[in-house]
Amino acid sequence: MKTYLGEFEELVLLAIACLGDEAYGVSIQQELQIQCDRNISIGALHSTITRLEEKKFLSSWTGGATAERGGRSKRYYALTQSGRKALVETKNLRDQLWAQAKIKLSPR
Amino acid sequence: MNPQPPKLAQKLFDWFCGNAHVDDLRGDMEELFFINLKNKSRSYANKQYWKHMLQLIFSYAVKKRKRNAQHHHYSSSQISIAMVQNYIKVAFRSLYQHRYFTILNIAGLAIGMSISLLLISMYGYVRSADNFHTNPDRIYTVVTKRTEGIEERELASSPILLQEKLKTEIASIAQAVPIVNTFYGEIANSKDQLNMKGYYTNDTFLKTFNFPLIDGSAEALQKPYSIILTEKCANKIFGNTHVVGKTVEVKELGIFSITGVLKDYPKNTHFSFEALVSLSTLGNSYMADQQHWYEYNAQYNYFLAAENFKEEDIQSFFKKIEKELYANKNVKVEYELMPLREIITSEEGNAIGPKWELSGFIVFGIIALLILLPACFNYTNISLARALKRAKEIGIRKTMGGQKNQIFLQFITETVVVCLFALTGAWLILLFIRGEFQSMLVHASTLDLSVSGFTVFLFICLALLTGFVAGFFPALYFSRLNPVEAIKSKVSNRFWSGMRVRKYLTVFQFSLSFCFILSLVVFGRQYHEILHFDFGFQKENIVVVDLQNTKPELNKTLFSQVSGVESVSLSSGSPISASSHVWLENDVKDSIAATQLFIDNTFLQTFKIDLVVGNNFDSQGSNNRNKILVNETFLAKNKIRLQNIFSESYKIDGEDYQVIGVVKDFHFLPPPHPIQNFVFRYDETKFAYVNLLVNNSDNVFNLFTNLENAWKQTSQETKLKAKFFQDDLNESYLVYRYLLKMAGALGVFALSISVLGLLGMVVYTTQNRIKEISIRKTLGASIFNITLLLSKEYLRLLLFAIVVGIPLALFIYDSIFTRIPDYQSDLRISDLFLGALGLLIIGLCTITSQTYKTALLNPAETLKSE
Repeated sequence: MKTYLGEFEELVLLAIACLGDEAYGVSIQQELQIQCDRNISIGALHSTITRLEEKKFLSSWTGGATAERGGRSKRYYALTQSGRKALVETKNLRDQLWAQAKIKLSPR
Repeated sequence: MNPQPPKLAQKLFDWFCGNAHVDDLRGDMEELFFINLKNKSRSYANKQYWKHMLQLIFSYAVKKRKRNAQHHHYSSSQISIAMVQNYIKVAFRSLYQHRYFTILNIAGLAIGMSISLLLISMYGYVRSADNFHTNPDRIYTVVTKRTEGIEERELASSPILLQEKLKTEIASIAQAVPIVNTFYGEIANSKDQLNMKGYYTNDTFLKTFNFPLIDGSAEALQKPYSIILTEKCANKIFGNTHVVGKTVEVKELGIFSITGVLKDYPKNTHFSFEALVSLSTLGNSYMADQQHWYEYNAQYNYFLAAENFKEEDIQSFFKKIEKELYANKNVKVEYELMPLREIITSEEGNAIGPKWELSGFIVFGIIALLILLPACFNYTNISLARALKRAKEIGIRKTMGGQKNQIFLQFITETVVVCLFALTGAWLILLFIRGEFQSMLVHASTLDLSVSGFTVFLFICLALLTGFVAGFFPALYFSRLNPVEAIKSKVSNRFWSGMRVRKYLTVFQFSLSFCFILSLVVFGRQYHEILHFDFGFQKENIVVVDLQNTKPELNKTLFSQVSGVESVSLSSGSPISASSHVWLENDVKDSIAATQLFIDNTFLQTFKIDLVVGNNFDSQGSNNRNKILVNETFLAKNKIRLQNIFSESYKIDGEDYQVIGVVKDFHFLPPPHPIQNFVFRYDETKFAYVNLLVNNSDNVFNLFTNLENAWKQTSQETKLKAKFFQDDLNESYLVYRYLLKMAGALGVFALSISVLGLLGMVVYTTQNRIKEISIRKTLGASIFNITLLLSKEYLRLLLFAIVVGIPLALFIYDSIFTRIPDYQSDLRISDLFLGALGLLIIGLCTITSQTYKTALLNPAETLKSE
């Protein structure tokens, strides 16, 4: 296995992908909270984002000042090419394992 | 006004993050705050803000951003080879530039490490002990704890009667080896009276341990009176190793046929033997003697376990045996297993060969550390003192993007380079002291201190570790310097709060040196006192000749004719080593125990022991039967009046004895021991030595040739064995001399380290004050004034060190020296005084050598350069 994505890392990457141009700290947190129905600490989220950035799966840039948050800027995130590749690889692996399952997994 | 997030939390976050870029994080928190404010209460929003703030503070995100903010973002925190090369290059340049300090540091560390190297070589030896056997991890010995009444002893031995039971009851034992180590005797018909010692054992010994035979069969130890010699022993007796088939006679033990020759075994083993003798020699009655369950001091059990061996099996077997045998006896024995590799460091009393107790290693280790640590302190001291000189370099490095850990690494590299140089020095010192050290030890001949790959590895580890310990604080200090202050030469010494810590270190070092010097003084005085101790008899110019079973009276006459001999006497031993005891029974009073010596009528004259009252022995031997001489202590201890002594009669071994005289007291035991009851008796059959009082001539060689010629008339086969009594006496004080030597060496080491440290400090401070001194001189200060000014501070330190050192020395003295056996001495005020004086003189010389030199400088020279 070339790349390893933790479960939470994968979720964060997917959430950023879902948000498109509007992915920054709070929006990612809200998105995850809505989609997964679980509480996510802002500290843990930013730690994960930082690590993903270190792994070069994410790129970031600072946006302009905004009125609603005391004039402070936002840092936007987007998937890089290798981030996309990592997601695809993870998905492929899952699909492969699903296909090979000997017992019936989905209740269909 | 709109509500704002809690101020304190904001401030705390800003303070914690410093100059890191966290604007977006604060924005996120604020956004969440406003979302919460919209949906929930104010206090909930506040609480959440705090929570988020704390979560972020402890998150990796902030940690990373803080780290990034420390340096320019082009600076790299990675360590590249090129940089390490640069560190080494800079280290060499800076060491070369400050040669003087470098040499001081290297010398100090070399001395400091040399003792540790010695310890490491010893450790290497002990660790390699018995590793050459085929299955060292599966060989065990049985040790015992023997309790008789309140007396409890731990023995390395166990009854060999265990063997049979072990073999039958425990299947997982491959070989069981019995050893009895009492084989010792003189080889008959040998010219030089060779001795031989070894073990009684059987063939399993050779099968279990890896001691290969170079000649002979593996069944060499089956028949009674079979013997296997080591190569060395065969060479000693026969001069060659082709001896299988020959016989060797051992006095009082019998004739043994040689059935094998053993290759000389390596030194790293806990066994020590010259010969292996078949156990069957001891006979069936010995082997089956049930008394051996309780008395087994010389019996040892080893066994080789099979692979499926479990320790629990044998422990339950031991429990069973203990119950079976010792249930109703007053002797209790508890058996325990001990693996082969641990035997050499075990503390058990009656080891089968050489042993190096762990406790000894610990003491040695502490001493080594006490020598090494001050050397490290020196380095730390000098490096920190010179911080100012390096500050600019560090400032520039930091400005160029050098990171904290890189600067740290640079200085550690420098220290490690110094330590590696010092290691070479320490190695040279080790070569020098190793032989001396070995000569002082009891088991020296079995100790192998040569260097192996493993010890070299440990040596290098030691150097690296020393480098790290010595360089840690300087490196930490330098890496924390603020570049702006450093470049402006405004380095504050907050970290080390002026000179205080360095002063503490100096005081500590000198207190330690003071203790070493003090012990040197005490040992020296002790040794001197013993050498010049008045024993109460003549000890100079006495030659003692071993009779070696020749006729005493004949020798006496022959030796008395030799020129230069003033008086000749016969005795059973020397007055100092009389160890035979006798009970004098009295019908009325209690029996009296006394030390006895058999002498003839001229003995008192030869040794110049005075008679207080009564008569000496008669020249006619037959008149001396049942007569004794006693010493004054004999009277005093038993409360006998001088005038009554001749009416007392004593029984020795059932025979009546009459006191015919009282001699003046003399010491027959070394000084710390008090004088005890002493009895002189007369018995021609007991004489073993001739004592000659010779005149004080310089020509000792002539005297001995004459003595040899006289000896030839009595015995053709044997050689003359003659010795000066005083040499013999001094030899018995070897332990004192070794203590003196050891303390001396350690004292010199510790002191030279302290002196080097002091020298470094003094040189540094005087160099820094050269301009001040020059101005003082131009304004009229005298050389003496300036020397005093510069030395004052260090003198104070020295005095302080002595004040601290005295209680320390007393404490050490109480806890260590009083525990050395055969060593009793008091610590005198004069010793303290002498020690302090020695330290002061040496310290003063060190200080003034530098301060005086500085004071002599011409102010014109030093002032004009600005």
